[in-house]
Amino acid sequence: MNYNELTRRYFESGANVGELTGPGVFRGAAGSLEGGTWVQFDLQINAGAVSAARFLAFGCPHTIAVSSWLTEQAVGHPAKPQLAEGVQGLRARFAVPVEKMGRLLIIEDAWLAAAAAAAAALEYGESTHISHERK
Amino acid sequence: MNAVRKPVYLDHAATTPVDARVAARMAEVLRSETEYGNPASTSHDYGDVAAALVESARTQVAAAVGANAAEVIWTSGATEANNLAIFGVSRYYRDRGRHLITVRTEHKAVLDPCRELERRGWEVSYLVPDKEGLIDPTQVAAALRPDTVLVSLMHVNNEIGVVQDIAAVAAICAHHGGAWLHVDAAQSVGKCPIDFAGLGVDLMSLSAHKVYGPKGAGALLVARRGDSGGRGRVHLAALQFGGGQERSMRAGTLATHQIVGMGLAFELASTLSSMETARVAQLQQRLWRGLAALGGVLRNGSATRSVPHVLNVSFEGVEGESLLAAIRTSIAVSTGSACTSALAEPSYVLRALGRSERLSESSLRFGLGRTTTEGDIDTAVAVLTREVRRLRQVAGAAPVA
Repeated sequence: MNYNELTRRYFESGANVGELTGPGVFRGAAGSLEGGTWVQFDLQINAGAVSAARFLAFGCPHTIAVSSWLTEQAVGHPAKPQLAEGVQGLRARFAVPVEKMGRLLIIEDAWLAAAAAAAAALEYGESTHISHERK
Repeated sequence: MNAVRKPVYLDHAATTPVDARVAARMAEVLRSETEYGNPASTSHDYGDVAAALVESARTQVAAAVGANAAEVIWTSGATEANNLAIFGVSRYYRDRGRHLITVRTEHKAVLDPCRELERRGWEVSYLVPDKEGLIDPTQVAAALRPDTVLVSLMHVNNEIGVVQDIAAVAAICAHHGGAWLHVDAAQSVGKCPIDFAGLGVDLMSLSAHKVYGPKGAGALLVARRGDSGGRGRVHLAALQFGGGQERSMRAGTLATHQIVGMGLAFELASTLSSMETARVAQLQQRLWRGLAALGGVLRNGSATRSVPHVLNVSFEGVEGESLLAAIRTSIAVSTGSACTSALAEPSYVLRALGRSERLSESSLRFGLGRTTTEGDIDTAVAVLTREVRRLRQVAGAAPVA
């Protein structure tokens, strides 16, 4: 399979791989190893904005590249329950084949889970929330 | 492909580079002012010269596999040979019975013709190998029926390199009396000894391009011996008609230069085989030791009943497509997935061995050969060690002990 330059770059660099710990960290995950795609995002929120973001991903190069790119885009922006770019936009940006749309939706689910955890916690004054464990 | 630094080629089970001696000889034939005749033209010297080249190659191929030259039928490759064997026998013996036996881990060039026969009303028994990919000959005995006309079993498996006990299966088929034995030996020549006559096989498919010969050349060996069981020689119904070439079993003008190349490739393979196999076995050990040190690496197939030219391994904790993407600029190998679309399908061979879908997809087949060096192996180990560790880290997997 061929990948566009952006996909290759983020797949190979693996920027923001890892996990965050400590106060203000919120986690969301989706997918499963058995299903072939699993993604986890950790968002660190300070004063309502994302101060750091990390990801883990078991999946194809598109899955890894898109996850990496999303963490990079998030820093400095308000923690909103939406992707920096919609699924269709991501598909075009990373030249993701239509057969792989399901993987982008898993990424979106993981991101929204982390963002929702952050929103809920901030509303109720919690400082850390781990919403999903690896399946 | 990077023009400066080519990926290390470890896919000899898919195809081999043409040996320089073979390429030179083929070029001679193509350039010759006397060797371009039609081998079927008996009315002039040009034809006689070409026919002599074809017959010389026939002798070379036969000698390399313990066959008689008269038993060699030229084809375009092993796929055509497999089709000729399966459809040719089934058509000729359709009034005797309509049952075939094969194995789930056969090459598609055998499985697809079998599927087509099923669509035409034949019954096919697909034997299930053990976890190492081996068939117990008693499985064949148990599957034989009075109406079985053909057993098709590959010698060396193309994905995992295991070697089946062909002689034992041949004895079972001979005892049965009505079932002919076809063996796909495309992966065998030059990797392990073949004695067509001694094995008691009725039909055997061969390929040139797996043996440092040209693509587009192959052969079907059709045994011409009688046997004490009184069933006589195997017969084939022709699948194509035209000029009566190859004793009317495979019509069509013979490709002299291709056949000459195959003949020389087989002669070289039989000359170099034992020395080359010992060297390749050392390289395979080096590769396996290097990969096993990573941890979480599983070997697919039998370690003892296999040729050293093929090593198939699964990597735990990495996704198959990402693994291939991470190494493809450095190492040319085959993956355990058949990427027929954007979504890969796991290898049916590894699935038949009981590997999970995930592990099947994260497997690689290393095909070692005449051009493989220690440096190639060390490069492959270094690249895979780096990339598997990186992908496991991205997946958050705990380091494997």
